Amino acid sequence: MSRLENVYHRSVVTVMLLLLLSPLIATLIYAFSTQWGSTILPEGLTLKWMTQLWQDPRFLLALAHSLIICFGALVLSVVLVLPLMFVIAYYFPRLDSVMNILILLPFAVPPVVSSVGLLQLYSDGPLVLTGTPWILIFCYFTIALPFIYRAITNNMQAIHLRDLMDAAQLLGASTWQAAVLVVLPNLRKGCMIALLLSFSFLIGEFVFANLLVGDRFETLQVYLYNMRTGSGHFTSALVISYFLVVLLLTLVANMVNKGKD
Amino acid sequence: MSYLSVKQLNKHYGQTQVFENIDFSADEGELVTLLGPSGCGKSTLLRCLAGLTPVDSGQILLQGQNLVPLAPQQRGIGMVFQSYALFPNMTVDGNVAFGLKMQKLPADEIRRRVAEVLDLVELREYATRYPHQLSGGQSQRVALARSLVTQPRLLLLDEPLSALDARIRKHLRDQIRRIQQELRLTAIFVTHDQEEALTLSDRVVLMNKGKIVQNGTAEILYTQPINAFAAGFIGSYNVLSAQQAGLLTGRTWQKQVAIRPESIVLVPAGQGIDATITSHSLLGNVIRYHVQTLGFELLVDVLNRSVADLHPNGALVGLQLDISTLCEVA
Repeated sequence: MSRLENVYHRSVVTVMLLLLLSPLIATLIYAFSTQWGSTILPEGLTLKWMTQLWQDPRFLLALAHSLIICFGALVLSVVLVLPLMFVIAYYFPRLDSVMNILILLPFAVPPVVSSVGLLQLYSDGPLVLTGTPWILIFCYFTIALPFIYRAITNNMQAIHLRDLMDAAQLLGASTWQAAVLVVLPNLRKGCMIALLLSFSFLIGEFVFANLLVGDRFETLQVYLYNMRTGSGHFTSALVISYFLVVLLLTLVANMVNKGKD
Repeated sequence: MSYLSVKQLNKHYGQTQVFENIDFSADEGELVTLLGPSGCGKSTLLRCLAGLTPVDSGQILLQGQNLVPLAPQQRGIGMVFQSYALFPNMTVDGNVAFGLKMQKLPADEIRRRVAEVLDLVELREYATRYPHQLSGGQSQRVALARSLVTQPRLLLLDEPLSALDARIRKHLRDQIRRIQQELRLTAIFVTHDQEEALTLSDRVVLMNKGKIVQNGTAEILYTQPINAFAAGFIGSYNVLSAQQAGLLTGRTWQKQVAIRPESIVLVPAGQGIDATITSHSLLGNVIRYHVQTLGFELLVDVLNRSVADLHPNGALVGLQLDISTLCEVA
């Protein structure tokens, strides 16, 4: 690569990065400024908004709610979807094409439409969930499905699932043992990607949270929505905090994942 | 009673018959190769022996016991896959020990037997590596060790050398043969490579389109192909129509005739049957000439002794052939 090309590539990447980061940086500065209205640069810096936010019990509760709902949905997805995917990949590989269409549904059907359906589904037996936060968990797990399915299917194809199962069985392992001892540990990477993707998507979800549960079980996004009339500096602090929480969890997850290699 | 005998085995997927009425046997300590073009059903047959694919009908008798109703875990069969199928999350040690752990053997016995079998495949010093740190040849040796450590009654090898490069392939081929003979293992080896089959096996079962074409020692298969397919698949036989063969030999033949390229001798022009060299290719130790004679083309292999003996394209030569090396094929 010539020097000119090098400079060109670097400048393109830098411009792109700045373009993507600038809203975030602006929000960040806004969250830490006393007043930023009629001047180019903020008039002064302060931690006021951040301390105010992190001392607000309503915010902490909303954060806790969001984390509970997200982790609940992820646990449910893993417990339900992982065995299902294994069964599809190993016993019914033809169903894969059906699944590929099925996983598009959460994107294809607008949340406003599907939330009506979900409310109806869960307001009658056998599972009455309408009005409780549980309905969000059962809804979010369907939204997480596409991320989880794609990431794990790719992983399963990469490890030659069938050969591994065959080899383990010929060595005397039962199907169950082969799945747990041989296949599962090798799906760790795919699972991690799937969970991180779903988590960052779900924690930012607003429409379902607002329509299905709303104020009765305030999540981060609903809280943010309810705070929209307040100070812009305060909501900026909220957005930055929310972003930091996601970043922190991603970093922790990555470190845990690396430590095992 | 043979050690392994397969009787009237049938398998189909939907409308397609994968193989039908397969009968063959293997004696104890024998290495039998299933040879055939891809799609001939040999790999499926192997999977059926292992119990990984169910059969429609027929019997697989191993030491007199019918394996068909048994699950793969209960068959006492070891298998080596083309893709190695090593467990990526375990070290070489862990991979090899897996089968013994499933049998719940005591830890010190597992350790001793794993070390033993790793010595056998010369991989002792790689015990703590992970599969992704191994080369293809090493991976396949680990896979071999893993399937040997449980002392299987029958070893199945599904194109174990196909993913390796030529030099490693030859080396590993010899190693597999040495270990098989040392342990007096009964083994079934699947391959589409005729050279592999001929050098490695005690007996070759040649398959085509789900049927056994010929079953015999490597020598018999090579020198007496039963039909045109066998002649074409093993070695590069010249297959002539009865009429062409009649022109060439001056005798009448009932069926097609196969002549091996190395059994035709090139002599100076004027002797034997007149012919013209149309092209040649160097195969290394052998030069293969395409020769035009009596209106058709023949392949002639000549040992590559010196550059001076090389016949240029267009040169006139004579052909001599020994009638006893010709064989009629269906």
